Formats: sequence, structure tokens, C-alpha cells
Amino acid sequence: MMTRSRFVVFLASVVVGMGVLVAVGALYLHPARAAVGPLPGFGLALPAETRFLIGFDARRLTASPLYARFAKQRAQGRPDVFRELEEKTGLDPERDLDGVLIAGLGNAKESGVVLVQGRFDRSKLARALETEGKQGLTWKSHAGTTVYLFNELAKKPGALAFLSDDTLLIGTQAAVETTLDSHAQGRESLRGNAGLMTLVEKVKPGSAFWMVGDQSLLAQLPRSLPAPGARRDRADGPAVSLPALKSVIVTGDVDPQLALEIIGEASDEAAARNLADVARGFVALVSLQANQKPELKELAAAFSVATEANQVRLSARIPHEVLEALRPKPAAPTPPTATK
Amino acid sequence: MTPGAPARDVSRPLPLLRGARGVFDLALDGMVWSRRSLLMAVLLGLPVLFGVLYRAVLAAKLPARVTGFDLYGVIVAFYYVRNVLPLAALFYATALVADEVEGKTITFLLTRPLQRSSILLGKFAAYAATTLSLSLPATVVTFFLLATARGGEGVGARVPDLFRDLGVVALGLFAYGALFTLLGVLLRRPVIPGLLFLFVWELLANLPGYMPRFTVTGYLRSLISHRPADEGFAEIFGQVLPAPLCLGVLVGVVVVCLGAAAWIFSRREYVLDQ
Repeated sequence: MMTRSRFVVFLASVVVGMGVLVAVGALYLHPARAAVGPLPGFGLALPAETRFLIGFDARRLTASPLYARFAKQRAQGRPDVFRELEEKTGLDPERDLDGVLIAGLGNAKESGVVLVQGRFDRSKLARALETEGKQGLTWKSHAGTTVYLFNELAKKPGALAFLSDDTLLIGTQAAVETTLDSHAQGRESLRGNAGLMTLVEKVKPGSAFWMVGDQSLLAQLPRSLPAPGARRDRADGPAVSLPALKSVIVTGDVDPQLALEIIGEASDEAAARNLADVARGFVALVSLQANQKPELKELAAAFSVATEANQVRLSARIPHEVLEALRPKPAAPTPPTATK
Repeated sequence: MTPGAPARDVSRPLPLLRGARGVFDLALDGMVWSRRSLLMAVLLGLPVLFGVLYRAVLAAKLPARVTGFDLYGVIVAFYYVRNVLPLAALFYATALVADEVEGKTITFLLTRPLQRSSILLGKFAAYAATTLSLSLPATVVTFFLLATARGGEGVGARVPDLFRDLGVVALGLFAYGALFTLLGVLLRRPVIPGLLFLFVWELLANLPGYMPRFTVTGYLRSLISHRPADEGFAEIFGQVLPAPLCLGVLVGVVVVCLGAAAWIFSRREYVLDQ
């Protein structure tokens, strides 16, 4: 005989069981690929040779007060190019874009690819490309999708294709076709880059923009910077050497202030301390310029540098007002000279 | 006992699992239908009410970038994992033995032909059944209320998070439950030390370096995928520990603490105040 308490446990089990069944059903019917950190599922179709990834939450950026402030001041309304784009393709970048993902690839043939997620009028966009596209635009079918090629005969032709109804893929032809192949076959080829995946998982969730780069990218960065006061045109002048970084993670947000965090992984603790000292030195240099521009002192105060084992952490919290003050002011129009 | 069957040797205690089952049935009745359970049901069910409120009113008023799933993540990460689940474990698990001692009923329990470890096992199983019955349905219902607030599109991609959260909720209740059961066996009044552990010691999870590894919440937080923006030290120093390490440590906490509690309970003399 089932007691009342056992009945309660049984009822709870039924609720959980039904919930799990519905969830499994949803997973089966909508097998959207699970994201890795901020990387959406479709991003996993990118090639494993990807060296760096940059992501923007376009919706958050365009909805932020910072964008509104700078967009208003820049254009007094919408730029003409946005208006033209909407008329021809139905796409309003400020309204229809959700996110942008930029992937830089390692080899010369496949330079990079950009994935744009949003709400697209696919037929209108395709018609605009086919009827009003530039000279040199051709298209072909690849992996079941139409790929639009720009300057097909060039060394690195560009390409554009729809990965899905809400995702646009733009980049070099080789990179676009490789990504389309992976997506069509359901392969998560980017998981083959374990180092980059590990970095993506460490990105702070909810960031409006982020970037990760692994050692293959960072090895190409300069290993020294000209020392303060040194002449840039002389290669043998005094220089500040930079320790090699193994990886870098950049995350940021724009609301309520511009918040930036850069985490660099150095080869060891000593290299991390060295790099932190270099960063602090540059921040101090900025602060020293405060006599000429007082806003620079506030900017320098917004930065903080810390180390933890072999990691260097550079954080910044910059109020919008400081950014506003640092923007170059437009030159005042010269008054017309009076004529006799 | 069936007629004609050989009589059980009553001088020997019941086998471990059989004894535990009997204690489980008895303890479950007392645990499920209690004021403590009513309070816990309200606390654990608050997110469900919030989910209903969100769908009815708030979804239209909050900015588009704040999705229902984001709110679900905040509820799991902050409300459940950091607050309500540890509190539920504290108030139930510390009372497993302490209530019997305080109510002076421990003597009757210990004079039954039961192994002491089966008493503790049965009571712990009742604690697990009660708390899981309250928390898991609330988590599932909250998930569906919030994640589907703007349509079912994209729910499929969130389902793995639901499964992960259910696992973490269960593991958290087991880990905290085992720890507070040990506390309840060791101390006469375990609630205050338990509260100090939860709201002082567990703050170490917000510090840098190796300090989070000395807390339970550090491992639980690392297992869930929701990491909403935090404030203060937690924002700056929050770290994610490797999942295999977290699972191993939490399972280890359950095994070690329950084992220690059973060992101590088996050997301890309970002298009641007159």
C-alpha cells in the first residue's frame, strides 16, 4: 500500500520524468548544436585550423547606450549605407543582426571567415546579389547551398553563402566551402582544435564582445616594442622585449561602462610578472600625459594589472564620459574671410 | 513473516539494507509531512512562481537581451546552488540524528534490532528522497516556464543544460547532506556551525588561487554551465575547476562524510540529559 509520503515522492518522480521526456523530445525535434561557451553551435563547423575567434553580441552592442551615444553623434541618424542596404536587401544591421563571429585561419589559402547571425530575408538578399551584384560576381552550388563568389579568378576569391536561414557565412572561398562541408556533414571540426576550445570555454559568459587566440597566432606577434622615446624608424634603437604569450582571452562589455578584461597566459610566472610590469609601465606613461589631456589620467586610473601564477590579467572599467572626452573633436569650421 | 517459515533469529540485527528500508519508510513519513518540508517547498518553489510571473507580466517589460534562459541560469547559479540547496541540506541533514537526541527518542531507535549504520543509511535515504522530491520538479518546471517564454525555438539546445543542472542539484544535495549529517552526528547543536560553514567558510570560493578547492560550492559552481555576472571578488577571481576533479571530489565528500558519520554513530554512546 502506498503511503502518503511515498505518493509525494512518486508524484515528484512523475513530474521529473515527464519533464525529462519532453526535454528529450525537444532535443530530438530541434537538435540544435549545443554551444561551447559563447560560441554558438554553428560555429563548431569552422575549420580546426582556426587561430583566433572574435565574437560580438551585435544585439547588445546596438542596444547599448554607448552605441546610441556614438551613433547619434556620428551620423545624425542612420548612415546612408544602412538605408541603401535595407532598401535593396531588407536587412537593417541595427535591427536584424544578433551576433557576429570572426574566425582567422592559419593557412594562406583560407584566410578567414565571418559568420553573421540574424534575421535575413534570404530570397530578397539573394535576388539583390544576383541582380545588382558587382561585376565579377558568380554563383555555384556547394554542399547543397548556393555560394556567391566575388572575383572567382582572383588569387583568393571571396564568397558568401547561407549556412542556415538565420546565419550568413562570408569569407574566402576555400574557408567558406570548408565550413559548408563540415556543417552539411554534421561535423564539429573546430573541436579538433582542443587548445582553442579550452580558451573559448573560459570566456566570461554574457560578454558583449570577446576574443581568443592561441599560441599559433601569438607566435606571430612582435616580440619587442620600441622603448619610450626611441625612434621608430631605427630598428637598432632601445626596445622593450615582450615575453611570449601562450594564449590570450579578451572579454568585454559596453553597458553600463566599457569593461574590458584581457587574460594572457605566459610561459611561466616570471614571464607573467615581466609582462605585467610592461603593462603597468605603459599605463604609467599614459598617466604622465595627463598634463596635456586630463582625461588620460582618468583613463590610466581605469586600468588595473594583476598576475596569478603564469597569467596576466589586465582589467579596465572606462566610463562612457571618459571615452566621450577622449574622442577627437571635429575641427571647427573656418569662418569665411570677409571680402572688401 | 509467512506462516510456516523459520523464525528469524531476533538476537541478531536485521541485514543492513533491510533495516535501512524499514527506517527509510518510517523517516520518510516524518520528513515529508512536516513544517520543515512546507517551508522548504515554499523556498524551492519560489522560482516556479517567479517563472509564472515572468511569463505573465515581466517578459514584455524586460529588455530583449535578458532572456528567460538567462534568468533560469541566474536562479540555478545563485538561488539554488549557492543558497537554498545548502540550506535545505543543513536543516534536514543535521536533524537526522540531532532531532532524535533532542527529542529523547534515540534510545528507542538504538534498542531496535537494527545495525546503527542501517539507521543512518535509512534516514539519509529519506532525506535524499525528500529533498530531491522538492527540488528536482521545481528545477524542471522553472526551466520550462522560463526557457520557453518566447517560444520553443532553441529549447533543444538548452536541454543539455537542464540535465546538467538536475545532476548538479542532486549531487549538491548529496554532498551537503553527507557533510551536515556528519556534523549532526558530531555535535549536539549543529545548525549554527552549519550556518557558519555555509555563509563564512564557503566564501573562500570567491578567493583566488587554491582557496576555492577547500569549499563544496567551488566544485558545484564549476559543474554548472551558467555563469551570470557576479560582483566583487567573485567577479574578479571566479574560477572554473575541471569537471572530473569536481565530480571526484564531490563523490568523495559523500562517501567519506557518510562513512565517517556511520562509523561515529556506530560507536558513540548517547547519554540523554535527565
